[in-house]
Amino acid sequence: MGGAERNARKRKRNQGGGARPGGATSGAKAGGAKAGDGKASSGKAGGRPVPKPGSAQAALAAARGGKNDRTKVILGVVAVVVVAAAVIGGVIWTDNRKNATADAAIPVAAARQELPTTREDAAVLVGKDSAKVTLDVYEDFLCPACGGFEAQFGPAIEQKMDEGVLKVRFHLVNLLDSRSDPEGYSTDSANAALLAADEGKFLRFHKSLYDSQPEEGARGWSKDQLIELGKAVGLTGQAFADGVRAGKYDQQVTAAYEKARSTDHLLQDAGNGQKAFGTPTLAVGDRVVDTSQADWLERLVAG
Amino acid sequence: MLDGVGTLLRLGLAAVWAVSGWLKVSDPNQTFVAVQAYDLLPAGLVSPVAAAVPFVELALAALLLLGLGTRAAAVLSGIVLLAFIGAVAQSWARGLSIDCGCFGGGGQVAAGDTRYPQEIARDVGFLLLAGWLAVRPRTGLSVDGRFARATVDAR
Repeated sequence: MGGAERNARKRKRNQGGGARPGGATSGAKAGGAKAGDGKASSGKAGGRPVPKPGSAQAALAAARGGKNDRTKVILGVVAVVVVAAAVIGGVIWTDNRKNATADAAIPVAAARQELPTTREDAAVLVGKDSAKVTLDVYEDFLCPACGGFEAQFGPAIEQKMDEGVLKVRFHLVNLLDSRSDPEGYSTDSANAALLAADEGKFLRFHKSLYDSQPEEGARGWSKDQLIELGKAVGLTGQAFADGVRAGKYDQQVTAAYEKARSTDHLLQDAGNGQKAFGTPTLAVGDRVVDTSQADWLERLVAG
Repeated sequence: MLDGVGTLLRLGLAAVWAVSGWLKVSDPNQTFVAVQAYDLLPAGLVSPVAAAVPFVELALAALLLLGLGTRAAAVLSGIVLLAFIGAVAQSWARGLSIDCGCFGGGGQVAAGDTRYPQEIARDVGFLLLAGWLAVRPRTGLSVDGRFARATVDAR
C-alpha cells in the first residue's frame, strides 16, 4: 500500500501547493490509487460510507490516509532518534563520569618503614634474613578480595616482617587485566610496583595502591598517575618513570600469572569440582594457606 | 479490548526496561564487568557498549511509557532482546560461568551458579510482549493515539 499512499500524498501536495513540475503525471497515476486508498481509509474512519472512486470524497479520504501514515512514520523516526540520542548521550555521560579520577593524585599511604626488598622477576621478596617462614602471596592490584585481604591482614603481616619472623614474597599477577576500563591496570600497576621494588620503595607504593584501589570496571590509575605516586614516595629518578611508560616488566608479570595458574598446588575449588587459580592465594612452600581461622598468621610464624 | 491488553503489555515492557536500565545506569562499573564477562566484544568496544546499553533501555522505557512510536520502540526492543538472548546462549554454549547482568549484577559466578535457562526464558517472555506491540501497536493512553486522532480531527 506504500506506493498508493505515496501517490495520494503527492497529489495532495499538488492540490495545495499548485504548480509543481510533474504534477500532471502524478495526478494521472493517482487515478489508479483512489479505489484502494478509499477502502483502506474507510476502515480506519469507522463506518463512513465508502466513497465512490473518482469522487472528491475519495480524494479527501486518500489524503487523510496519507497524512495518518505520515504521522506514523514521523513518530517512528522520533522514536529511533530518541534511542540514538540516548546512545550518544549515554556514552558521553558515562565516559565523563568514569574519567572523574583522571586528574586526581593517588594519596600516599601512611608512612611505613621499608624493609629489605629484593625483586625476583615479577615477585618481590620483603623481610629480614632472620625470618624462617616465607609466605608467598599472589595478588592483583585490581582484585577486590586482595584489597580486602590487605586491609584486614596487611598491618599484622607488616608487624611480623618488622619483628623478623616472616618474609613475604609478593607475586604481582595480572589476572584481572581486562577488568579495568580501559583495560591494562593490573599489568601497569604490577609493573610500577616492581620498578618501585628495584629502588627499595615497594611497601609504601604497594600499600598506597591498595588503600586507593579502583573498582573492577572502573577506570584504573593511569601510568602518569602511577609515576606521580612514585614521585610522592621518593621515586624521582628517570628510570622509574621510563620503566612505567615502557612497561618494563609487563612480560614478566604475564609470565608469572601464566605460571601461577598452571601450578597445581595453587589451584583452589571453583565449584562443580573444577579447580582454578584466584587471587589472593597464599602459600608456604607447596601448601596453600587457609586464612579462614583468625589466628592463621600466628600459627604460621610459630611453625 | 485488544487496545487494553496492548496498553498493559506496553506499560509492562516499559517497566522492565526502566528497572533494568536504571539498575545498570546506577552502577556503570558493574555494567562494564557484566558486558566484559560475555567475552564477545573486542577490548575497545566493551566500554562504549556498556555505556550505551543502559541508556538504550531507559530510552525504550520512556518511549513505551508515553506510547510514542510504539511500533518502532517495540521492534527495537525485540532486536535488543534477541541480542541479549544470543549473548546469553553463546555463554551457555561455550561453558562460561557468568551471570547475565540483565537486572544489574553480572560478571563471573561459580560454575554451579549459572542460570542460563531461566535467563533465556525470561527474555523470551519479554520478547513476546515486544512482538505483540510490533504487530499491533495500537494502545490506549498513548501519544501515538493522540496524534492519530489529531490528524483525523484536523479535517
